Amino acid sequence: MTEVSIVELGRGALHQLELWGDPAPTATRIAKALGHALPPAGRAEGDVLRLSPTSWLVSGDMATLAKALGDGGSLTPVGGGLVQIRLSGPGWRSLLMEGSLFDAESADFAADCVATVLIDHVTVTLRVESEASCLAYVPASLADDLLRFWQISAGGLPL
Amino acid sequence: MKQIPCPHCGNRAQAEFVYERSADSVVPLDAEPAVAIAALFSRANLRGTEEELWRHAHGCGMWLLIRRDRVSHHIEWVKPIGPEALP
Amino acid sequence: MNAPLINFTFDGRALTAKPGQTLAAALLDQGIRLVGRSFKYHRPRGILSAGIEEPNALVTVGSGGREEPNTRATDLYVYEGLNARSQNRWPSLSSDVGGVLSLVSKALPAGFYYKTFFGPPKLWLFYEQFIRRAAGLGPAPTKADPDHYAQRAAFCDVLVVGSGPAGLIAARDAVRAGKKVFLVEQDAELAPSLLRDPAEIEGKPGRTWAGEIATAVRTSGGRVLTRTSASGLWDDQFVCLSEKLIEPGQIPANGFSQRYWHVRAGEVVLATGAIERPLTFANNDLPGVMLSQAVRTYVTRFGVLPGKRVVVATTNDDGYLTARALMAAGAEVVVLDSRPAPAGHSSGVEVHNLAAPVMARGGKRGVKALVATVDGAERSFACDLVAMSGGFTPVVHLHMQAGGKLDWDQAAQAFVPGETRQNVRTVGLAAEPQPAETVGAAGNPKAAFVDFQNDVTVSDLDLAWREGYRSVEHLKRYTTLGMATDQGKTGNMAALDRIARREGITIPEAGLTTFRPPFTPVSMGALAGLATGEHAQPTRHPALYDLHAARNPIWLNAGYWKRPRAYPQGAETLAQAGLREARTVRTAVGMCDVSTLAKFEVQGPDAVQFLERVCQTTVGKLALGRGRYTFMAREDGLVFDDGTVWRLGDQRYLLTSSTGGASRMATWLSYVRGHLCADLKVSVTCVQEHYAAIAVAGPKSAQVMAALTRSEAPRHMSVVESTIAGAPVLLMAASFSGERAFEVHFDASQAEAVWQAIEAEVLATGGTLYGIEAMELLRIEKGHLVVGPDIDGRLTAEELGLGRMVNKAGGWIGQSCLSRPDFADKQRKQLIGLEAIDGKAIPEGSMLVRFVGAEAEGHVTASGLRVLEGGSIALAHLKGGQARHGEEIYAHSPTRRQTVKVRVTSPHFYDPAGERYRD
Repeated sequence: MTEVSIVELGRGALHQLELWGDPAPTATRIAKALGHALPPAGRAEGDVLRLSPTSWLVSGDMATLAKALGDGGSLTPVGGGLVQIRLSGPGWRSLLMEGSLFDAESADFAADCVATVLIDHVTVTLRVESEASCLAYVPASLADDLLRFWQISAGGLPL
Repeated sequence: MKQIPCPHCGNRAQAEFVYERSADSVVPLDAEPAVAIAALFSRANLRGTEEELWRHAHGCGMWLLIRRDRVSHHIEWVKPIGPEALP
Repeated sequence: MNAPLINFTFDGRALTAKPGQTLAAALLDQGIRLVGRSFKYHRPRGILSAGIEEPNALVTVGSGGREEPNTRATDLYVYEGLNARSQNRWPSLSSDVGGVLSLVSKALPAGFYYKTFFGPPKLWLFYEQFIRRAAGLGPAPTKADPDHYAQRAAFCDVLVVGSGPAGLIAARDAVRAGKKVFLVEQDAELAPSLLRDPAEIEGKPGRTWAGEIATAVRTSGGRVLTRTSASGLWDDQFVCLSEKLIEPGQIPANGFSQRYWHVRAGEVVLATGAIERPLTFANNDLPGVMLSQAVRTYVTRFGVLPGKRVVVATTNDDGYLTARALMAAGAEVVVLDSRPAPAGHSSGVEVHNLAAPVMARGGKRGVKALVATVDGAERSFACDLVAMSGGFTPVVHLHMQAGGKLDWDQAAQAFVPGETRQNVRTVGLAAEPQPAETVGAAGNPKAAFVDFQNDVTVSDLDLAWREGYRSVEHLKRYTTLGMATDQGKTGNMAALDRIARREGITIPEAGLTTFRPPFTPVSMGALAGLATGEHAQPTRHPALYDLHAARNPIWLNAGYWKRPRAYPQGAETLAQAGLREARTVRTAVGMCDVSTLAKFEVQGPDAVQFLERVCQTTVGKLALGRGRYTFMAREDGLVFDDGTVWRLGDQRYLLTSSTGGASRMATWLSYVRGHLCADLKVSVTCVQEHYAAIAVAGPKSAQVMAALTRSEAPRHMSVVESTIAGAPVLLMAASFSGERAFEVHFDASQAEAVWQAIEAEVLATGGTLYGIEAMELLRIEKGHLVVGPDIDGRLTAEELGLGRMVNKAGGWIGQSCLSRPDFADKQRKQLIGLEAIDGKAIPEGSMLVRFVGAEAEGHVTASGLRVLEGGSIALAHLKGGQARHGEEIYAHSPTRRQTVKVRVTSPHFYDPAGERYRD
């Protein structure tokens, strides 16, 4: 059986960053403050994870970010609504193929890649942390269900 | 199940997307009543290729304009809809 | 070759099988020929084939929740302890009472069901009882399946379906080109055709050659799946595979019995081979009449000789391979070849040319002789086995599902794959079947079977044709041809041939029916995956779920949410608990989890502009720290949701809306924002799950809130930021009950601390927890509307009685369409209240009529009672209702056989002036 460990990390302090209007000047200010650019589609960098064309999921210190953001967008607390689950061990990619239609086994899905996908009827945002683990952001109300699904599925993974 | 190229996420399975409406059913803001009523209640609904609004509901959430052959399901192109966005 | 024998039972008889044998092989090995009774006529049936196309030899295996009916004995590998039962027989297989039907087969001709439907209904009811018992397959299992079924995604460059030589070559070439390959085989062994016809390929024994290719596929990152059927092909090379991890009825080692694969392939190569066709003659369904290649499979692969005196009846060269295999195994063989002499492989065999079977003789113990015409003269051949080959039908199912076309191969008398819309190609015998002749049906048409599984005879086809069923699609439905679990894999071509001959057209002119998935039956469990039982749909647990659970509520499944409906005390019923909770709210205070409400933060310089598009009420005039009730219309002007809007900051608003409409509202807001208002500087963030929320309602609620926050409670429709139990909260004074009330919204990670603090204060103040039941009673009495029953997306704001609140300046979505002339009709339905004149409960959903039997003029949307005084009340939609207050009508429910006399009233039964909101 392929090895995978499934650990529920609970809720965290997360904010959703959204930009409005012309995003370029705001993004430049934020990049300066963060020390890196806002990650592009499908990527994460540091504490910032790209969610959609206009939004990012952010953890860590908000004060710097809020200052750089100014009136170029909004920073909204959303952490109460997401449960984080870490999948680690050599089998995490294999587990993500269960009940899904996304190619988590692709070599292109590498460290700091981000994808929002459907797994067992739940919309989940995945961030590859390294070859050894992947972090899943799961709608809090559905986390119990998805955990159960992963725990059962892990027992039947193919070699 | 089709594969749809989301401009934000890349190729994804159709199950992640929701068909929302045909493009000619969009009622512009402050539309004249006749325009709104025509868009909602008397569309052509042609056999063949049409533009449609889809949404990557179980992905990035983006709205998409898709030109699709309703007979063969062939997708000619997919364009993003929405506010100006960074790459 | 001294592997231990495997023990199994068939109809209770203890038997043994050699390792690797299918149930069919093992039964034949033991000399068992009678395996089942046919679907309609209960004719004795044996084993026809050696593969998934088997129409006759269906058995039930396993027990309890693992019981699986209609399992093909030819597609089931014997395992230790296998318990197989024959089907459709009573009291036993050999003395089946239904077998008498075969003597009166006139009773159930083609179209029998349809004709009976047109007869007197009483006659149908009589027939139905009789048919249900007589005609059928194995009974469906009644217990829950204890096993898991996995569903798994996979991606590959090339998916090869079928591991015969053609498929293996395609797989090898793809691996050499650096592709990731999936190789799928429905048999338990790779290259099963090489087990039937051993051959040397590229200088190696075929099996060795096959094994090397499989290894190459695996080591290059691909997968080789045996016992796996490609059950369907959809758009963009999306193929579903059904993999048996264990045999049907077996107990899985790790809980999983099957895996259903969703494979997206760059290219699909179909090496699906061809299925041999039976010949059509009288009694061609007797046990011991088998397909030629199947006989060869049993002899060569499974080491079983199904007969000692064999007639091989063929229309092609392949039959001679069977003749030789049989002779090598010691059988006495005669070949009847429909073609003129000479044929290719005839050396050493007794061959009769221009020969075709007319009738088999025999009974339930099997065939005893075959009567044939040989060069125009009838002759009888004594035999105990007939091996027949009527040519080969390419397996084009997946090709057709890929949107493919078919070409007609005249030499093979078969449809072969033509063009396809997808990156799908067919190779091997599926593309180039062996040449064969077509021989028409012979012998008594009433005993010449075309579709063995559904008992369709040549005479049924002729009858349908005479009655005017010319299109194959009609003919199929009228006769049930090809509609059994085998989907006519062996029989459809013979039927087409018959119809073409009757019609005087060619087979390609007659056409084909649609090839729908699945190719072979797929277990329902495989389609469900792990979504079974409580998990059949996602269950959403609100942040406060565990706290509720500890208080033993009666749960309500509200959409996907689990919500407390009431918290009964002692032996209280739901109604009693709900009423007690509601009364406590009216007289003291209660608290209720309202976390599931939809919530959106709307921010930005253009937030007001956005909200005034979405909300039909004014938003611009809202002062900082104030909120108001609002409702939203679709583009057609009809109200579809309602909620509240709060101004939390200069450019920051919180919009709440209904629980049930939450995802629809999220979609709607993103549509308006993303498509209609893309240029606005605004963000709309869904915070439904970020904020848990508790409503505190009742005359003592302000006192409770003051104690908790140590400051004066905000006045009605005001919002303040505060802290409870150390957690920051948004405290909104809003009411859904008719009482002074508050909603406390807070980060769901603080759920437990905030709940416990509020609960302690509420209980200390003589209050209660309340659930949805009490909430409904309270809001109905107050005349607050709920999205779903009351706001059902069919009424305008005016018709809902909300006209006063509409933003007169306009600009909201839906305004244009309100000028439709229909909306001027004052006889459209409107929201009203009802009170029962005699106090009886008003049935929810009942229709409103002037008298019983009159046309319905509306319906009851929500039924409740006066919480403190008693007396039944309800909310309803009624034609022209707003002008009918005082009128007496009836709420009539024919399904519940209840009729209640009611008076039309205002929907506001409680404190219509709203005085109780003030402190």
